[in-house]
Amino acid sequence: MIEVKGLKKAFGSNEVLKGIDTVINKGEKVVVIGPSGSGKSTFLRCLNRLETPTAGSIVFGGVDITNAPEKQLYKIREKMGMVFQHFYLFPHLTIRKNLTLAPVKLKLMSKDEANARADELLKKVGLFDKAESYPDMLSGGQKQRIAIARALVMKPDVMLFDEPTSALDPEMVGEVLEIMKQLAETGMTMVVVTHEMGFAREVGSRIMFIDEGVIAEEAPPEQFFGNPKSPRLKEFLSKVL
Amino acid sequence: MSSFLDKLHETFIVDDRWKYLVDGLKTTLIITVFAVMIGMLIGFLVAIVRATHDRTGKFKIMNLVCKLYLTVIRGTPVMVQLLIIYYVIFASVRIDKTIVGILAFGINSGAYVAEIVRSGIMSIDKGQFEAGASLGLNYAKTMKHIILPQAFKNVLPALANECIVLLKETSVAGYIALVDLTKGGDIIRSNTYEPFLPLFAVALIYLVIVVGLSALVGKLERRLKKSDRG
Repeated sequence: MIEVKGLKKAFGSNEVLKGIDTVINKGEKVVVIGPSGSGKSTFLRCLNRLETPTAGSIVFGGVDITNAPEKQLYKIREKMGMVFQHFYLFPHLTIRKNLTLAPVKLKLMSKDEANARADELLKKVGLFDKAESYPDMLSGGQKQRIAIARALVMKPDVMLFDEPTSALDPEMVGEVLEIMKQLAETGMTMVVVTHEMGFAREVGSRIMFIDEGVIAEEAPPEQFFGNPKSPRLKEFLSKVL
Repeated sequence: MSSFLDKLHETFIVDDRWKYLVDGLKTTLIITVFAVMIGMLIGFLVAIVRATHDRTGKFKIMNLVCKLYLTVIRGTPVMVQLLIIYYVIFASVRIDKTIVGILAFGINSGAYVAEIVRSGIMSIDKGQFEAGASLGLNYAKTMKHIILPQAFKNVLPALANECIVLLKETSVAGYIALVDLTKGGDIIRSNTYEPFLPLFAVALIYLVIVVGLSALVGKLERRLKKSDRG
């Protein structure tokens, strides 16, 4: 579904990604872990070109995202949902409008269709009663659940999560992970950058360890956690587990 | 007391002199309202060009033009701009002086509005742009539906202040022989040799309008605040 080849990204003289090669298949749940500054968020942000790669290619649905013209890029992004660490809900709009803005303005759905879809998703994330509230009236966990629903409204083929629980108070992490688990069970293709090792072990179909701009190791969770090969990963796991 | 009433009568009633104030006020309001509209239009356009250039690197030449406009307008007094527009630019054209006033004050105000709006756009977290982009909204749609509404709300007090400043600045319109509120009061003064009453009347009228405008903006701000906690 997504084919990444020789992906490199530098910010000025600082080379963050030094050549990433991987294939993300339909239905896979790829969990990306690694020390901070290793490039894992940058990798994720390259996948929908929020960051423009310096070199390499990312093919999604037969199109190379790295040099797609802008019009096509926006079409592709409709099919790649993204959830951010800091939610980035639209504070001037009600929860319902947060969900319906994009599909309506992009003329993918009529207002009624979008509202129906929003209701359905708000029920799924357990926040139907907040439809007419504004984002600033919600807790962090609720905001992130809404952010997930907002991305899902677009009926994406893949969902990208950029440290979705890192900005949350500890007691709110569970409710967000729960929604993500439910989403995983529906067969959604997911790429999740996180520090939640329990989630990685339970939900991940493949764990990817990014260190110093390269994939240092990747394996299914049992093997990844049970039998890590590289010394760097062993050291990392000994710190976080 | 009765001498004060006599003076009032003498100043405003005799020869229907109050009409100078009413007609002047009309001119002042017309110039202000249309100049605000022009100023907002220019201001938003310039702000969007500048902010877009700073964020994406597009609009290089337009950005230079905008910068030149901002430098010239903000670097020279509005009265000089008014005189130049009337006596130089429209020197050989017969044109309603009110329109000259509207253009001069509108073009002048646009520069200040532009910087206010640009600061509003820059105050929005870049994550809001990214959230819009990640949903497939292009830059223009993100700007229109996500960034500008928030920016506008943030800078509303500053924009209202600009309107108030503009209203008061139109008082120099008399320099191109426009009879605005200030000039109207001044005509009464020169007719009656009585400065106190007409000038204070003029000041009072400005004050009432400004206080009224401020109250209106307060109301609007409270309405826009609905989305904030509390």
